[in-house]
Parts: sequence; C-alpha cells; structure tokens
Amino acid sequence: MKTEQTPFVPTSPGRQAPRVTDNVKEWLRHQFGALHTALIEQPISLYAASVLRIGYGLLYLAFLLREFPHRDEIWGPDSPWTPALATQFFDLTGWFSILTLSDSRLYFEGCYALAVVTCALFMLGWRSRAVSVVFAIVVVSFHARALFMTDGGDNLMRLMAVYLCLTACGRRWSLDARRNRLRASTVYCASRSAGLGAPDLWCQLGAARRSLITVVHNCGMFVIAAQICIVYGAAGLYKVQGGLWGSGTALHYVVNLDLFQPWPMLSHMVDSQQMLVAVVGYLTVLLQVGFPFILFSRLKYVFVTMLFGMHLGIGVLLGMPVFAGAMIVADAVFLPDRFYRFLGRTWRRTFSRAALRRKGTTARTETPLVPARSTG
Amino acid sequence: MREALIRNGRLHLLDGIEPMDVRESGRESADDAISNATPTKEAADRASSRTPERSGPPRPLGVVMAAATVLCLAAAFLHVLLVFLYVAPPNTISQRYSSQIYGWVEPLFQQNWKLFAPNPESVNRQILARTMQTAPDGTEQVSDWFDLTAVDASAIEHNLFPSHTAQNMLRVAWSNYLDWHGSDDRSHSQRALMMKEYLRNIAVDRVAAQRHSTFEAIQLQVITRPIAASAAADSAERTARPPIDTRYLPWWKAGAHEN
Repeated sequence: MKTEQTPFVPTSPGRQAPRVTDNVKEWLRHQFGALHTALIEQPISLYAASVLRIGYGLLYLAFLLREFPHRDEIWGPDSPWTPALATQFFDLTGWFSILTLSDSRLYFEGCYALAVVTCALFMLGWRSRAVSVVFAIVVVSFHARALFMTDGGDNLMRLMAVYLCLTACGRRWSLDARRNRLRASTVYCASRSAGLGAPDLWCQLGAARRSLITVVHNCGMFVIAAQICIVYGAAGLYKVQGGLWGSGTALHYVVNLDLFQPWPMLSHMVDSQQMLVAVVGYLTVLLQVGFPFILFSRLKYVFVTMLFGMHLGIGVLLGMPVFAGAMIVADAVFLPDRFYRFLGRTWRRTFSRAALRRKGTTARTETPLVPARSTG
Repeated sequence: MREALIRNGRLHLLDGIEPMDVRESGRESADDAISNATPTKEAADRASSRTPERSGPPRPLGVVMAAATVLCLAAAFLHVLLVFLYVAPPNTISQRYSSQIYGWVEPLFQQNWKLFAPNPESVNRQILARTMQTAPDGTEQVSDWFDLTAVDASAIEHNLFPSHTAQNMLRVAWSNYLDWHGSDDRSHSQRALMMKEYLRNIAVDRVAAQRHSTFEAIQLQVITRPIAASAAADSAERTARPPIDTRYLPWWKAGAHEN
C-alpha cells in the first residue's frame, strides 16, 4: 500500500528537502525493500513447510490405519452418529463431508481407501499442491463426519491441513523435489525465448505466477505460525484462570482420569511426586503463556525442546499420541531451515556410511556421489 | 506503484529467468513507468542500486501483482485477527463483530483450546446400561447393569495408541448430552434431541455387541466420582470436592438406527 504512496510525496526532487524526511524516507524505503524481499522474493521456511507436510500426512495415515478396525463405528454408515444425524447437524452448522454424500458401504470403503492413499502421497510429496487440496478435503470430511469423537489433536490437524494448501510444502524432501532435480534446470525461459518475441510475455506471466505462489506461501506460513501462537496463548491464559493450576495440583487430577491412564503404574508414580506435579504444572502454564513472546529470540529453542518433552509426556502418560504428535509437528514450524539442512546432511552421511558398510570396500569408489546428491 | 514494478523486476530475475529476456521488455516498461511518474532520480538510483539495467514486467502485470500481494497480506492478517477474537474470551470487540467472527471462523476454522483449562476435569464418569425385554408371558425382564466405561478403560489400559472410540466416543457424547440437557432429561431443542439419540445409539450398539440378545428399551446410569484431592491440596480444595453423584436416565426405546 505504502509503496504506492512514497513516490508521490511532494518533496521538491533532491535539493533542499529537510534531511530528516530524507532519512525517514530512506529508512522506509529500506524497510519496504526488506519486507518486499521477505514477502515476495523468497519463500520462507520451505523445510519447515515440508516437515509439516510429512508430519501431518504420516500422523493422519497412522490415525486412519489405527482406527481401521473401528472405521465403520467412527465414520461409516453404521456409526452411532448416523448419516442422518450427521447431515442434520451439517444443515445446522454448515459443516461439510464427502462421507455423507452416500450411505452405501462400498462408497464409504472407497472414501477410506482414498483417504489412506491421499495421506501416503501427501507425506511423500507427490504432486504436492494438488494432493494437499485433496488431503485437506479428506481431513475436513473425516473430521466433520465424526465431530463428536474428536479432541484437540484432530482440531489442530484439520486446521493445518487447510492452511497447508496455501503453502509450497512440496519443495523439499519430496518426490516433487526429486523429479525437479532429475529433470535439471533446463526448462526455463532461456530455451523457449531463443528466437521468438512472444514467449517474453509467457515468461513474465510465469514469473508473476511464481511470485504469487511465494506470497501466498509466506502468508500461509504466517497464518500457521500465528495459529500455533493462538493455541498456546489461549491454552495458557485459560489455565491461568483456573484455581487448580494456581495451587499446583492440576496435574494430580489429570493423571487420575480413568480414560487418560494407559499406564496406571506410571500415572500413580507421577502422582506420588507432589513437587514434580507442582513444578511441571507451573512450567506448563509458563511455557504456554510465554511461547508467543519468545519466538523472536534464541530462547525459542529452549522452549521448543521443553514443549517437545511435555508433549512426549502427554502422548505416553495420557495416551494421546495423535494430539502429542500434532503439537510436536506444529512446533517444528519454528525451527529454521539451516537446522533442517543440518539434519538432512547428517541423515545422508549416516545413510551413505551405512550403505558403504553394507557394500564393503568396493563402494569406496562411489563416494563422490554423495556431495552431488547433497547439492539438490 | 513504480516501486512495485521495479521490485517485481528484481524478483523476476532472482527467480531464475535469464537476464537477457527480461532486459528488452523490461526496459520498455520501466521507461514507461518512469515517464508517467514525477521524480526519476530516485527510481533510477533504486533500480541501479541492485540490478542495473533491469526492471519489471509490463505495467498491468505489476499492478495485478501488487494488488494480489496486498490482498493476500490483508486476508492473512484478517484471518488471524478473527481467529484470535473467536478464541479470546467474549469482549467488547468480539461482541460487536460477533456475526462476522462466527461467520468466518465457523465451521471450518472452529477451535477450542481450553485443554484441561481453566481447571482439568476432576471427576471420573462411569456410564452403565441395562436393558428391558418383555417376556412372552407379558412380564418385563430387566437385565443387570453393564459397565460401558469399564470396557473403554480396559481397551485403553496398556495401549500406546488408544482408539478414539474408547477414549472419546462415549465421554464426549455424554458431555454433549449434559451440555444440552443439564439436569433435565427432556430434550428442549433439536441439538438436545440429536445428542440424546447419539448417546442412545452408542449404548444400544455396545450392549447389543456384547449380549447378542434383543431388547426393547435401554436405560443409562451415570455415576460421577470426584477424584480425591491430592495430599498436597489445601483444606479448601479438599472440602470443595463434591460427593458421588448417581443419575438414572429415563428408559429409552431401543429401536434400530434410523438411517
């Protein structure tokens, strides 16, 4: 917006304009430049977006497969939340699901199979943009069909599935990336515009398309990050209002809930440590409330590590692996690309070393392959 | 606008297009832009500071791009703002704009992050069911109580990945029933009726799967057991624990699902 205004500021061009305005203008210009670079020229956190894609694809796949024996009870035509109830509810609330389009069993099994395949393809990053849209439709459909069986983890996965449609989540660690690498960089305008004048416009449209994709991606990543901050901020601030969190005994009640006690021995062990219960309870609230405020400092690594531990604990102790997984994947958004590149290098190194060991000494001649692959 | 054009030009180049292409068409549009606008020096400086002799796509495309960028940004910020207001406690702003907020956020972006908050639930609910069958001689035969919650709990115990059917289904169905009925078991709204039917269907399905016998009616009993206060709790917290509550729901006809 302001970019449009700056040139029209009526300062006499150059000469006797007050220095302050010049400085301000210079500063503004610099800021806009930086903002512009951040916004349009460079898609941010491509690795993190890919981690979200892989994480949520895998998580939803695991969820679907885990509920395979219960699929009919949860989403099928014989569910206690009958198709009739579901459609009635959709009419009241505006939800939508592909699962209620037909009551036929065959159709339902088809949808379930489609969901499994979609999750797998999404995780692998095959035609990511198109598959991300299908994935979002699948997740929203399955979520809406079984709305009264969902918890916070399902909610978060549904939101993220929708947001991920906006992002370029298939640029790293995906089949798409592999295909592009194999196809090499010969496709661009250089070859097309060799003789003709017309492809010029074609090129510019292509560039405009690319920058539009970048803008939408960056906005999508911003929305994802903001959404996670809202999750933590709300969860933390609501807890602050609770007397049990204040007295440090809240976790005592949590670990004594029958349906969140897969390992009763472990729960009782935790419960018997009163100090631990109080410390962890307070830490939980502080981490959650503080999270949105430390994102721009190095402290975030400490927070993300502690939240990782906290969610791991919730996943095991309370038997909520889907919720824990969804939160852990969400936190991964805040790790920088250089961390993921480092992970990738480490992975490749150990992988190639393992391959070497397997092949024995003859493989030593193949080592030059490794750096070539790592450039991709 | 001119800035946007020039910047688009830059990005254009960074995106991997051969400089050769852009230069020809680009220069025209830059000249065009410069002749249309007033001060030229700044623009030239700006352009030359990074990418001399290069500039952006034709004007209409630049305008469209700038507009699209602004639109995307505005949409993102607006979405975050609306979600924030939706999640935040009711306040002056969210009350005034409630129709816009609910209209945008629900249903797709619906969310609730009161996870174990403001206080974690401090009761365990045990839900039991019994059935009634009229014998050929006309007498009503009532079965023993069948503990639905115990089945769920045993399915969860020692399970790394408990099913939603055990952990959430009955629990959420009951809490929704409670939300829409309160202490009165008559359903006063469509939602309440739906929740009642859902709860009944769950109970009927589970008892039928377990007992393999037909029945005409089903009744639920809900025992609410407060979790004993922790040894570390102060006396106020300890005395605030409610007594055990047992609630019998009315007999419901156990018809098959109305599909």
